[in-house]
Amino acid sequence: MSFSTFVTDKDGLQKLYEAIISKHETYAPVEKFGKYDYKKVSSLKECDPDSPIAMTMSVKPLFFPRASKIMKYEATSAGTSIHETGQDQLSGPRVILGVKHCDARGLQVLEAVNKWDYIDSDFLNRRANTVIFSKRCDKADTQCFCTSLDYDLENLDALDVAVVSGPGGKVYLQARTEKGENFLKENLGKESAAGSQQALDEMKKQYEAFAASFRLKMDYKDVNEKMSKRFDSTAYEEATRNCVSCNTCAFICPTCHCFKISDEKIKDTGVRYKSYDSCNNVYFTLEAGGHNPRPAKYRRWRQRSMHKFVYYKERFGVNLCVGCGHCAISCPVNISIFEVVNHVAAAPMEV
Amino acid sequence: MEALLVPSLAKIDRIIQETPDVRTYRLKFKDDSISEKFSWQPGQFVEFSLLGSGECTFCISSSATRKGYFDCSIKRAGVVTADIHTDLEEGDDVGIRGPYGNWFPLDDIKGKNLLFVGGGIGLAPLRSLIQYCIDNRGDYKDFTILYGARTSADLCYKEEIEEWKKNTSIKVVLTIDKPEETWKDNVGVVPKILEEVVKPEIANTKVITCGPPIMIKYTLQSLDRLGFAPKDVITTLEMKMQCGLGKCGRCNIGSTYICKDGPVFTYEQLKALPDEF
Ligand SMILES: Cc1cc2nc3c(=O)[nH]c(=O)nc-3n(C[C@H](O)[C@H](O)[C@H](O)COP(=O)(O)OP(=O)(O)OC[C@H]3O[C@@H](n4cnc5c(N)ncnc54)[C@H](O)[C@@H]3O)c2cc1C
Ligand code: SF4
Ligand code: SF4
Ligand code: FES
Repeated sequence: MSFSTFVTDKDGLQKLYEAIISKHETYAPVEKFGKYDYKKVSSLKECDPDSPIAMTMSVKPLFFPRASKIMKYEATSAGTSIHETGQDQLSGPRVILGVKHCDARGLQVLEAVNKWDYIDSDFLNRRANTVIFSKRCDKADTQCFCTSLDYDLENLDALDVAVVSGPGGKVYLQARTEKGENFLKENLGKESAAGSQQALDEMKKQYEAFAASFRLKMDYKDVNEKMSKRFDSTAYEEATRNCVSCNTCAFICPTCHCFKISDEKIKDTGVRYKSYDSCNNVYFTLEAGGHNPRPAKYRRWRQRSMHKFVYYKERFGVNLCVGCGHCAISCPVNISIFEVVNHVAAAPMEV
Repeated sequence: MEALLVPSLAKIDRIIQETPDVRTYRLKFKDDSISEKFSWQPGQFVEFSLLGSGECTFCISSSATRKGYFDCSIKRAGVVTADIHTDLEEGDDVGIRGPYGNWFPLDDIKGKNLLFVGGGIGLAPLRSLIQYCIDNRGDYKDFTILYGARTSADLCYKEEIEEWKKNTSIKVVLTIDKPEETWKDNVGVVPKILEEVVKPEIANTKVITCGPPIMIKYTLQSLDRLGFAPKDVITTLEMKMQCGLGKCGRCNIGSTYICKDGPVFTYEQLKALPDEF
């Protein structure tokens, strides 16, 4: 890796964070009733960039909003006019502190669908205008399995700056992208030549204890292959019988990206929205006339599982699920995608 | 924000009542510079909005070889299409995004006999290709159109069909499901007429078919029986869509984006997709 590492200590890190918050539009993990979300903050006191464990919400809404306006319009007897809502107003880079590796990787995985063929420049611009400071969790939460899914310590370029704590209160700030590098240079000044290797060694050392803390582990390439051969397996039905099709798993997932387009009109003026949707939704594929290619719940769950573990990889070369566990943590009926795909992979071949 | 999804305004120039529940809307962009840039191939579709009601997917049912306008033929099917039929009048504005999707394989069908098999509103996408092929008639050999509907009233493009019939280089075969007093053409479902009346030549023929799912199902079986190779049978798929441009995930079947890789597929390609349509 050709980027620099800067060495500071806990105080130095606090000061840097404070300076960032005062200068930039900044987001960071905020705890509320035991749940963590990335929120806009105006002081370090409001947030916890060092939050030790997985977030409840992903960072996705800051790049792909839950609902965004496509346009406004007026339609009267005098005529129709469309008003584009214009580009985001971005004044200098936004910064997000304390982004978990899984959430950052989710963004990286989403780039593929946003830049094939038609380019979603809104998504890509938001990414380009955001500096991501990332800190790995101290240990795995009950539903996490990120280390099983192409987690590559040395080549994590989904982050702009990796924050690594070292021995004796030392903190390494490791630039992972040119954007991260430039940002650190502007805000910190002096880099440390030796720090780069030390930070990496420290990360590797800490990784062992971190990896050992995982309850869930899988060989996802094997699962991927077995799923491809079990499209018709009854295991989907068994594993997803309790699903209430509430879509929470999709709304909370860092990589789900299905959306719907809807109009809201009052009198002569209206707004068209792009907002989250989910393949678990029974209306998702219901056509006018009543035909529905995925009328049963297990079929929709099969689509969700196959998209996460087979189709996206077939199409774009990367696994769509990053193993963050957000979906399982928030599912009202305790369905875990880890369990579903493993159940299917372990099922007998014949149907 | 979301610039990809903002439509351009088009004006309804004419509305043609095709059947009790199908109308053709003849459209022109309000901004001439958009009209000049807007070009499409037969088989492509647009996202059509009735502002305030919503957006729907419709193929362009006319050919770009007929200049100055484009047609969408719309069947009243659900919420938005009902509003379109009820609310829109000639002179009104609608929103259009597109054209999107792939198109009929124009190179593959050159020099071949063409057999069009359509049912009901399914003639809409075929009509775009039929017009295109008529306007380039020299590029093709035999030209047959088999078109059926439930009743004679449900046949679309009645005036145009009369013109096709007058064209001696085209064979037109019409059918309706049940006999009617004044009906002099064939009676019987499309696959039956295909096998018993049209009896198509198989060698060097490309079949292009579109219609309601049940008709497609039996037509494909008939074509199989007649001996057509799946690669010579071309159809267009109707999966629910939203964005039309490969982002929203709605139309996916396996790793295929129907809105980008389709909607036009050969029967051979369809057979390779998971059975989810
Ligand atoms: C590639 C393609 C070409 C088509 N061409 C034509 C055509 O030329 N003429 C025609 O009459 N119909 C066509 N359809 C079908 C047409 O899109 C639906 O009938 C229409 O969207 C129904 O909308 P609705 O609001 O009335 O129905 P509702 O059931 O109320 O649907 C709500 C929304 O769901 C979506 N939707 C519902 N059914 C379908 C469907 N079958 N396909 C796609 N989206 C759907 C639309 O976004 C619609 O606004 C085509 C569909 C596709 C995919
Ligand atoms: S969160 Fe759970 S219940 Fe809700 S759709 Fe997902 S799996 Fe089904
Ligand atoms: S499917 Fe679940 S575990 Fe996988 S990335 Fe989405 S929220 Fe995380
Ligand atoms: S319709 Fe949105 S991806 Fe195909």
